Amino acid sequence: MNGPVWLLARRNLLRSRVRFVASIGGVALALSLVLALNAIVDGVSAQLTSYIDQSGADVWVAQTGVRNLHMAASSLPDSVVEAVRRAPGVAQASPILYATETISANGQRKIAYVIGLPSDTTMGLPATVRSGKAIPGRGEAVVAEDFARQAGVGVGGEVTIFGRDLRIAGISVGEGNLLNTVAFVSFDDFASVRDVAHVVSFVLVRTTPGASANAVTKAIEQSVPGVTALGRSAFAQEERQLVMAMAGDVITMMNAIGFVVGLAVVALAVYVATLAGRREYGLLKALGARGRVLYGVVLVQAGLSVAVGFLAALSFTAALGLLIPAAGLPLALSIEPASLVTVAVVATVIAGLASVLPVRQVASIDPAIVFKRGVAP
Amino acid sequence: MTGFTLEVRDVTKRYGDGPTAVSAVRGVSLAVQPGEVVLIMGPSGSGKTTLLSMMGALLSPTSGTISLDGTVISALGEGRLPEIRLRKFGFIFQDFNLLSALSVLENVAIVAELAGHKRGEAREKATQILTELGLQERLRFLPEKLSGGEKQRVAIARALVNDPALLLADEPTANLDSAIGHEIMRILRRVAKEKGRAVVIVSHDQRIRDIADRVLWLEDGEFAEAIELATDPVCGMSVERAKATTAERDGATLFFCSRGCRAEFLGQLPTDGIDPASA
Repeated sequence: MNGPVWLLARRNLLRSRVRFVASIGGVALALSLVLALNAIVDGVSAQLTSYIDQSGADVWVAQTGVRNLHMAASSLPDSVVEAVRRAPGVAQASPILYATETISANGQRKIAYVIGLPSDTTMGLPATVRSGKAIPGRGEAVVAEDFARQAGVGVGGEVTIFGRDLRIAGISVGEGNLLNTVAFVSFDDFASVRDVAHVVSFVLVRTTPGASANAVTKAIEQSVPGVTALGRSAFAQEERQLVMAMAGDVITMMNAIGFVVGLAVVALAVYVATLAGRREYGLLKALGARGRVLYGVVLVQAGLSVAVGFLAALSFTAALGLLIPAAGLPLALSIEPASLVTVAVVATVIAGLASVLPVRQVASIDPAIVFKRGVAP
Repeated sequence: MTGFTLEVRDVTKRYGDGPTAVSAVRGVSLAVQPGEVVLIMGPSGSGKTTLLSMMGALLSPTSGTISLDGTVISALGEGRLPEIRLRKFGFIFQDFNLLSALSVLENVAIVAELAGHKRGEAREKATQILTELGLQERLRFLPEKLSGGEKQRVAIARALVNDPALLLADEPTANLDSAIGHEIMRILRRVAKEKGRAVVIVSHDQRIRDIADRVLWLEDGEFAEAIELATDPVCGMSVERAKATTAERDGATLFFCSRGCRAEFLGQLPTDGIDPASA
């Protein structure tokens, strides 16, 4: 019985190519909206934690209650660094200073995570340096490549951070994101400009081989008062959740718009196709086709429209993911499996709902319609 | 068993209730035998299409019964009717009613597939019937590429593909020119006689009277004087049974246009070939 259903659905869809293309285009557009938005969010989310992910630290130690970087302020006495070093399972501990500041060069301004790095640190420094050096000395800074490109500066150029002009000593890659860039200055410059002597923001910890990050965080929190310690992945997760919570309403709203647009397009296309084929559905009823066959035709038509639209949306989003970085924009699209499943479920719901009215319409067709005179093939 | 393919007993179809009720068909009875071609004629609005719809299980009668091969189909629930329509009836329409998105072959094969045949089997069967009807060169064509006569032949093939007991044709020649209309009628008659199908035709077309075994006149929802036709076995002319000269042979009644034909049939013709009685 599937043969006639698929044959009729396919041919009905392709009978009016303009209607088919419009339907597919509409669905693809609507699903692209949802898929691209999710890909952007996933991409930005991954970018947001790239500094944490690439810091080389297994554990992040912060002031009590501080569980992320974004819009956070952590202040610990520098004595904490030694205390952390003595905790069980700690192989290395190194402090950084951190603040969110506006940096500028050649009139270009951007919000940045400004990191103050000790000269001898092996953690928290830029993961990849395109040119120059990774750890800035006094009066120097390392800036991200995307910012340097936008500002038209390079190694040897100047950037203003904390109101001071610093010489660019290195260009890093991979820490920037849509919301902010990352800039590195020397620990001492940071401390003197911000007047934060004997204070650190975070202590980055590398664990001893075989020690679990969880066990070490517990050990640090037990042995060092006034701190919160989190494993790298937990710290990154906290960071992502914070941003997602801030963007959640917008994402929900955009997804809802995409859902409604997709639903309207498919429903209209299938409804119009059913209306146009009303006499033929009546004919099939008269010839003995059961209701389930006819409903199957409607459902498969809606399902095929949505499936092709989904593939088109996926291709479009994947192409966008390649084009955007190629255009030099600090935006990464990441199509995650979870997002694909969500959009596929949304698409299936769209196909199902879009079929409700046409199925009711088909159910109400009187097979005796075949005896009514009219133009028929 | 009645020996009839279709038996309509005292069937009435009324629309509406009370003083505004309209009876489209009133107390009609009719029996159709296997291999018989019955033509129902009548003016517009006489109830022909309503009667045909009821005979085809597309419409339920208000009262009376309709039986097909001994099964009272007018008493069956809506859930069982699609199966009856699919396997027991073949429909042929004035407007051809082919599925525009399907090829000629698919239009016929899909009905066999709906009846449970596998795709290959359905296509084989459809190809065979279409070939018998001279459409072997048109199998891949879409309906829009066919002439009216070809479309109607496809519709006949579709009607025959599930080997139904009864063919119901609604004005099958109305959209065709005279020659093609006659060709279609000859095909329907051949189907009745060679395949033993009962064929009921509703039509205004006077030109097809001579193809039918029986002509019934429906007026105001009732059969008026029924004109029953027969074919003279000698000269092949159509004759009204009520007015024809008859003869009996092997228990069957034969109808002749004249005493001359009757005499020739009975071997009583004078040697000069002239029948003085008919002159």
